[in-house]
Amino acid sequence: MDVKDIFSYDWSYLLPEFIILGFATALSLLDLFAGKRLGKSVIGWLTLAGVVLAAVFVFVNIGKLDEPYAYMADTIRIDDYGNAFKLLFLGGVAFTVLLSLSYMKQDEIRHGGEYYYLLLTGLLGAMVMASSADLITMFVGLELLSMSSYVLVGLRKHSLQSNESAFKYIVSGSISTAVTLFGMSYVYGLTGTTNIYEISVRLSEAAMAGYEFMVYAGFAFLAVGLAFKISAAPNHMWAPDVYQGAATPVTAFLAVVSKAAGFALVFRLLLIGFFNIQTDTRFFFDQGALYLAIIAGASMIIGNTMALRQTNVKRMMAYSGIAQAGYMLVAFAPPTILFFGEVTFFLFAYLLASFGAFAVIMVVARDQQTDDLKGFAGLYHRSPLMAVSMSIFLLSLAGIPVSAGFFGKFYIFMGAIAQQSYVLAAIMIATSVVSYYYYFGIIRQMYMRPGATEAPLSVPKTIGALVLILALATVVFGAFPGLVTDYVQTHLNHGFNFGDMLPPNFQ
Amino acid sequence: MSVSITSYLLVALILFCVGLYGALTKRNAVVVLISIELMLNAVNINLVAFSKYGLYPAVTGHIFSLFTMTVAAAEVAVALAILIALYRNKETVNVDEMDSMKR
Repeated sequence: MDVKDIFSYDWSYLLPEFIILGFATALSLLDLFAGKRLGKSVIGWLTLAGVVLAAVFVFVNIGKLDEPYAYMADTIRIDDYGNAFKLLFLGGVAFTVLLSLSYMKQDEIRHGGEYYYLLLTGLLGAMVMASSADLITMFVGLELLSMSSYVLVGLRKHSLQSNESAFKYIVSGSISTAVTLFGMSYVYGLTGTTNIYEISVRLSEAAMAGYEFMVYAGFAFLAVGLAFKISAAPNHMWAPDVYQGAATPVTAFLAVVSKAAGFALVFRLLLIGFFNIQTDTRFFFDQGALYLAIIAGASMIIGNTMALRQTNVKRMMAYSGIAQAGYMLVAFAPPTILFFGEVTFFLFAYLLASFGAFAVIMVVARDQQTDDLKGFAGLYHRSPLMAVSMSIFLLSLAGIPVSAGFFGKFYIFMGAIAQQSYVLAAIMIATSVVSYYYYFGIIRQMYMRPGATEAPLSVPKTIGALVLILALATVVFGAFPGLVTDYVQTHLNHGFNFGDMLPPNFQ
Repeated sequence: MSVSITSYLLVALILFCVGLYGALTKRNAVVVLISIELMLNAVNINLVAFSKYGLYPAVTGHIFSLFTMTVAAAEVAVALAILIALYRNKETVNVDEMDSMKR
């Protein structure tokens, strides 16, 4: 490919990525030359502006794009699947920035500038993960996100817990990166290409030519390695420690953006890469789906039972996040034709409820100087708004009706029934019932236990507004889930092809 | 005389397992990081071997291994930075003692 070819692409579809990259670069220079003179929050607000601008251009792309647009043999592929995930990431990072603006006033993070542009580079990595169809770019995006989050977790340099959790995160992250790469190397060896559409064709040839074992090994390595990013069962042990040690906005970032990015990668890579393989039965819908179902079931069981004994709220949210990853994998093992809609709605509801819950946790933890469950005692008498909103978020996470989370779970449950995976559906129901116990544990503290103090809780204005909006959104989308699902269906998934992820000739 | 692909894959697999064993059992944090490098180098051996002897020999494997090397270097740099920050707060590189958050 000569130079002329590169300029013949229409680069305007990549504007969201370029904006994030540009803002990250410009803000790091701004922080370097004028960091002292600017107030700390200026860089935060500029970050927010960049994220909103990028989201505007994602919407422009959605309106403009009729079919996927591929750059340089699919290394970056702009399709509706990627766009949907990008909107989730951008929303998540916007909420993270809003939380951080208030968190920074605590003066625990002394490098405010670095904090914000590391968020942006992490976001860029997530966006690349969501829209690449090539092993190399996927890997680079994954590592860009991972490395930004390692530093973000360890940014409270003088807190021992933060250091410790960052070290645990990077060690377990690197091990799982190595496992993922090992799987990728087997897949590459059988196919001689890194483009996942070619991989899909050639892997099925390889499987028929008697290399099934290598194909299965590659699948297993990839699934185990990538389970780290979504904090699912075999690779979930990092989550509680890291969530506890990190600053609360970073925890929310990891719980939502990083996890959603992991899902974007897992779905695209495993679905397309292993879709065509057919030996006796269809591998992906048979052995592959079984393997993923075991991961999903184990995550739901481990997450929900381990959460029962937690007294630290952030650790509890970590185990709850492991369980949520399990629910989401249920939709994927094996996917129905409605899979894309199910997953985007579930992630959307999870985004609203998680950020709301973490915002409340942040305010309460700062007031009480502890992440302990006891800190919530008597919250209703101190700040009814916070207590009621927190209850709504917890009900949504638990999946109780008239909250967005209920429909998220309901769609996935119906998908599992349609695929006749009754065991998974049963595990999902049973563990959901278990999860009510610990979600209601917080609610019990807020309403029924006397707190140490009755003084009104001081809530920063941005956090108050954010929590109120998120709580309203959770209720509104719980009453009218069609607002989101219709948008997804008409704008992002009109061909029922998972947001143009599948090429037209795929069977 | 050419060496068969099986030998390369076997070496890589052994290296990977040694690295994984080291990363999971060693107590010294620096040794853990070195073990992780072993795992990543096993991947590089695989990629380069496959790009000559794979089912579809192609140069892509070499390119991929360049990317993994670069990223591995960046990763270990971040890991050492975090370890130094940890060492300043708690003068130990012993993984067993990093246990301030339990259960």
